[in-house]
Amino acid sequence: MSKPTSAAVRPARRLRIAAGTLLAGIALLAAACSAGAGDNAGGDSGSNNGTSGGAGNQTLQVGLGAAPANLDMTQTAGAAIPQALMYNVYEGLVKLDGKAAVQPLLAKSWTISSDRLTYDFQLQSGVKFSNGDPFTASNVKFSLDRVPKWKANTPTYLSAIKSVDAVSDTEVKINLKEPDNNLLFWLAGPLGAMFDPNEVSNLATTAIGTGPYVVDRYNTNESLILKRNDKYWGTEPKLSQVTLRYYADANAPVNALRSGDIDAVYESQAADQVKQFQSDDQYKVEIGTTQGITVMSMNPGKAPFNDKRVRQAIVYGVDRKAINTAVTEGLGKVLGAPVPPTDPWYTDLADKYPYDPAKAKQLLAAAGKPKLTVDFNVPNLPYCQTIAQIVKSDLSKIGVTVNLHTQEFPAVWLDKTFTQKDYQLTVINHVESRNIFNYGDPDYYWNYDNPQVQKLLNQAAAAPGDKPYADDMKKVVDVLADDVPGDWLYNAPNIVFAKKSVTGISANDNGVSLDLTGVSNPS
Amino acid sequence: MAVRLIRRAALFVLTLLVASIVVFGLLAILPGDVARTMLGVDATPQAVAALRNELGLDRPLVVRYLEWVGGMLHGDLGTSYVTHQPVAAAVSDHLQVSLILVISAMIIAICVALPVGVFAAYGQGRISGTVLSALSQLAVAVPGFLAGLLLVIVFAVTLHWLPASGWVAPIEGFGDFLRHLLLPALSLGLIQGAILSRYVRSAVLDIMREDFMRTARSKGLTPFRALIRHGLRNALIPVLTITGIELAALFVGAIVIESVFVVPGIGSLLVQSVQNRDLIQIQGIVMVIVAIVLVINLLVDLLYAVIDPRLRTSR
Repeated sequence: MSKPTSAAVRPARRLRIAAGTLLAGIALLAAACSAGAGDNAGGDSGSNNGTSGGAGNQTLQVGLGAAPANLDMTQTAGAAIPQALMYNVYEGLVKLDGKAAVQPLLAKSWTISSDRLTYDFQLQSGVKFSNGDPFTASNVKFSLDRVPKWKANTPTYLSAIKSVDAVSDTEVKINLKEPDNNLLFWLAGPLGAMFDPNEVSNLATTAIGTGPYVVDRYNTNESLILKRNDKYWGTEPKLSQVTLRYYADANAPVNALRSGDIDAVYESQAADQVKQFQSDDQYKVEIGTTQGITVMSMNPGKAPFNDKRVRQAIVYGVDRKAINTAVTEGLGKVLGAPVPPTDPWYTDLADKYPYDPAKAKQLLAAAGKPKLTVDFNVPNLPYCQTIAQIVKSDLSKIGVTVNLHTQEFPAVWLDKTFTQKDYQLTVINHVESRNIFNYGDPDYYWNYDNPQVQKLLNQAAAAPGDKPYADDMKKVVDVLADDVPGDWLYNAPNIVFAKKSVTGISANDNGVSLDLTGVSNPS
Repeated sequence: MAVRLIRRAALFVLTLLVASIVVFGLLAILPGDVARTMLGVDATPQAVAALRNELGLDRPLVVRYLEWVGGMLHGDLGTSYVTHQPVAAAVSDHLQVSLILVISAMIIAICVALPVGVFAAYGQGRISGTVLSALSQLAVAVPGFLAGLLLVIVFAVTLHWLPASGWVAPIEGFGDFLRHLLLPALSLGLIQGAILSRYVRSAVLDIMREDFMRTARSKGLTPFRALIRHGLRNALIPVLTITGIELAALFVGAIVIESVFVVPGIGSLLVQSVQNRDLIQIQGIVMVIVAIVLVINLLVDLLYAVIDPRLRTSR
């Protein structure tokens, strides 16, 4: 480059630099114009500010917590995928209502043989997948035959199924190896989702079901946009578009609701905001139950927790009411067994082990361990950290020193604590429905090998009818509550904040889905 | 000039190579496993092993490393273990968002830093200079996420002027895009502006003591005009270096701000990928960020020559 010699050259150079900069800027802007517009942003504008006028044109934006990693619940864990897709995009033969009770869906009705080995389902007729393919009994056979290929969401829950027969287009028989009273319950969950054989090659990005909504677009970790399925066989949903927005932080969705960006927050973790919203006329607050069991597990395979008296001492020595107040503002339900209030075999065991440090000390002394030091693996989640602090302080009063080890959740906790079972104490909220059945699996990280519990669980699964089933499960609960392989702290509340106009969101979380079929928002 | 360019290019490639080894090595010893993380608490060890096999994670490290680097040489960053989508597409999509955010923040920072820095220097020893100095010192001490939260509480939650979080692409509505951009860009840019203004101030103070400034003033220019006409261009050289470094820092700061405002930028993508142990995606993101920082450094070097004609001839 030559050095400018005359004053006349300099403005020209400046102009060139300025023009170059400007061009570069324009090019950048043009290239970035679709920045963040998602993968399939091409044709439609994707604007979410749909005008809400007629009843058929309502929209809804809901704030949620953890986002789906992808859309494939057959290969990917996480409650977020079925929460968004079940009953909305995918449907099963049956569904769970807000009380976690089984209701008909693609099956109009069913009969169960007297030996409880054959389930005969009558299907809805005229059902189509959202791509236009018909849904018939052959889809039921295809979908259920495919379950053993699932990796996530515990496919073994349906292992009682021996075969599936498509009797006619609208009748299907499920034959069992052994009776299983949980069959309908699991069929109402993700494992029971009905698939189109032509659409299973790329489930991570494409979700085609028979439900009232179709996936318009998933912006990974950010938002899932559902549009009304015009081919839906059932009652047309009132919402033409639903946007599920995902927030990692508990306060972000609450702020978004207050600033008017979204219409509702579901499963809010901001329990401390309940009072403020309750005193504000613009919003409504609903508090229901979840299927979650927050459990502090005491590894019964390791000293000192291989001694039942030590485990019981810990349960007496930890103030569960104080934990429930600290984490959920008292909105959760203090537990004493791994059973959420919506399960048919729930009994209130909150007072079986009242907070009693003196009793705890006695039990420790009886076990010959008046002084103890234990390691506590704590996931780096806010509620776990709060619980760990209270436990540490409570247990120090009964002579137990607790060393806290924070582990990144999910990756490190799943690796060290869950897979390697390398822990003495740990805590987590198990959101999977009916996780009590894992106490029958000695290989599960709970490390609980009790033949009596295993036998009772099998007996319950085969019990003749709902009442005997529930009675048998209560026996399981009694054994567990006495043996305490875990300290079942509380059942987390489902906190729903919404604008006054939003109706139809179930306050109770059934553990499977945020069911949008009956929701409306005539703003 | 040619020698310098070749040397720079060789250094560029070498740095990327070393970075690829470091990134791959660090992630290999990071505790946690993508297969288990994906399958969660309701999958059997057999299912986890099967998934590891499908993802090719049970092969030797060297094979996986060479395959990854080989792919990158063809411009292929691989396919995400978790989302099953191409890493390159995800990175470019999120990177555009971050670039918009970071460049907007940088523009805000410069717009704040230049006048504040110049006036703070110009008013040195007077009340105005001291006040400006103190204010910028205060702003430097504020963490970005706190500034973000405060802005959200004031402008979104209380005043309802701007959205509390989220992102709208420019083609989806430019007005909406700007409304969503403003708060994150401000929380990132204002603090960066305060930091930058400290450098502008000291650079301007240095320049004001130079002989040529005295000459300019003796030719009849007022001190302020002399500063603007002759001083600023010279003062900009150290400032530019800092701006380059700060631009890289902005990308890091953006990770936090993107989380606060739920902006789908490269930072959000990185955090999510680390949580999922989506190794191939983490590797891709980090390599792209490394490349960007290197490019910024290169550009800063080249820009010196534009601002300071003396550097053009000195090789």
